[in-house]
Amino acid sequence: MLSVRDLRVSFGHAEILQGVSLDVGDEPFAVAGRNGMGKTTLCYAIMGMVPVQSGGVVFDGASIEGKSPTRVSRSGIAIVPQGRRVFPSLTVDEHLRLVSRGKNAAWSIERVYDTFPRLAERKGNGGSQLSGGEQQMLAISRALLLNPKLIIMDEPSEGLAPVLVDHLIEVLKKLANEKIGLLLVEQNLRVATSVASNVAIMLSGRIAATVPASQLSADEALQRRYLGVSTGSH
Amino acid sequence: MTLEMFATVALNGLTVAALYFIVAIGFSLIFGLMRTVNMAHGTLFLVGAYAGVAVFYPLYDQGFSYAWIVALAAGIAGAAVFGVLLQVTLLGWMQGQELRQTLVTIGISIIAADQLLAIFGGNSQQFFPPDALFGSVSVPLVQTGHYSTFRLFQIAVAAAVGVGLWLILHKTKLGIIVRAGVDDRAMLSACGVNVALVSVLVFAIGAALAGLAGVVGGTAQPFGQEKDVQFLLTSLVVVIVGGMGSLPGTALGALLVGMAEQFGQSLFPTYSVMFTLLLMVIVLAIRPQGLLGKRLT
Ligand SMILES: Nc1ncnc2c1ncn2[C@@H]1O[C@H](COP(=O)(O)OP(=O)(O)OP(=O)(O)O)[C@@H](O)[C@H]1O
Ligand SMILES: [Mg+2]
Repeated sequence: MLSVRDLRVSFGHAEILQGVSLDVGDEPFAVAGRNGMGKTTLCYAIMGMVPVQSGGVVFDGASIEGKSPTRVSRSGIAIVPQGRRVFPSLTVDEHLRLVSRGKNAAWSIERVYDTFPRLAERKGNGGSQLSGGEQQMLAISRALLLNPKLIIMDEPSEGLAPVLVDHLIEVLKKLANEKIGLLLVEQNLRVATSVASNVAIMLSGRIAATVPASQLSADEALQRRYLGVSTGSH
Repeated sequence: MTLEMFATVALNGLTVAALYFIVAIGFSLIFGLMRTVNMAHGTLFLVGAYAGVAVFYPLYDQGFSYAWIVALAAGIAGAAVFGVLLQVTLLGWMQGQELRQTLVTIGISIIAADQLLAIFGGNSQQFFPPDALFGSVSVPLVQTGHYSTFRLFQIAVAAAVGVGLWLILHKTKLGIIVRAGVDDRAMLSACGVNVALVSVLVFAIGAALAGLAGVVGGTAQPFGQEKDVQFLLTSLVVVIVGGMGSLPGTALGALLVGMAEQFGQSLFPTYSVMFTLLLMVIVLAIRPQGLLGKRLT
């Protein structure tokens, strides 16, 4: 579905992505890695939100590198960015109306409210008045209403209470069953390994290894080496 | 200061505040959505006023009774077209490069000022208001007991612009898009919205309002070539005081600047300009993002 080839991104003299290649198929695919390794930059580069120096991104057979975020979004990729980036001036309902593709689309506003009843309760609240968990639901709903073929999620579990992390895992599994592709950036290994079948490990702007999720959750030495964790969550 | 004098000065302040609001709100929305400091915003005022002049006198001289309405339409349309051309041909390509946009718009304003001088000459001009808005009406409290009908109309126009924009921003899909873009332009784009197109639309609205102000302001008072700089600086002060990109902020900023200016002129004529600047300095010291502005990141 999505194929990234030798992608390079620099900010000034610092080369943040030093030739990243990865393939996302129909199964959820996760990217893990310590802070500052370039995971968010990778998400934004695919989405067209930061300029790309070289390399290629092919989505659904079409080349999308160097395209504007508008064009990338319209080609069928949605993003749930790190920090959620909900719009502080918009109410929950306005967020949904902004991206809604109508009643007959697979994901409609009604379906979002059915799936996340909490958002229906907070309909009239502004984006900045929501709790972290509510903002995350809203950011995911905003992506779903675009009815994308692939969703890029950047650390969705960040800052969520443990019960909400469990809820998040359920939601992500459901999306996978609906055949929505998922590129999941996660430092929380429990989330990454319970949702994705393969996990790529990012180290200093490169993919150091791609391993099956089951192998990563079993191999503590591997976790320590690349992720600096020993318990499976940080 | 007597009560009559106070009421008169306050009404004068409201009148100029109304005009400042109509000009500055476009400047504020353009900055809010595009982060473009449009140094040619005063030029849009002038383009609107002279587009109005170009059609007004020929029609007026023939005794055409709707000359003013046509001039108003020409002013709005002329400024809107100028603004759209500016955004499409120049500024759109430099999105995100604020310094370059600032310099380019300064250049445009200098070139446009020379062209307008060459075409329309240096004499000051004024529109005659339509009969219904001519003369004065009786207003209690103010000195002489009468106040210019057209100046009251100017206040009504500003109120209509404010309410209309509020309805657009809060009751329409376009409004949702514009507010989202003011918050986070890149994220809005990642939601599939064609932000470049929305930018052109917002530029058109902001420019059209400056053109509207050109004809309305040019009816209330004579105007000349120097108005571009004056209205640019006033717009800057208004949005610095009220907060960039905020509709209520711009209204509040315009009100404070208008009042400071008029009360300053009547109390301390020699130092009146100090009042406006003092207002700006105080706001910058205690609330750098403007009274109702959001903190910029
Ligand atoms: N716009 C930018 N300009 C300059 N440097 C940047 C920019 N964005 C990111 N960087 C740098 O690029 C490096 C990688 O950042 P990135 O946010 O992609 O890492 P990350 O893996 O997502 O980290 P985290 O786990 O903390 O989210 C960091 O050193 C960061 O400081
Ligand atoms: Mg990150």
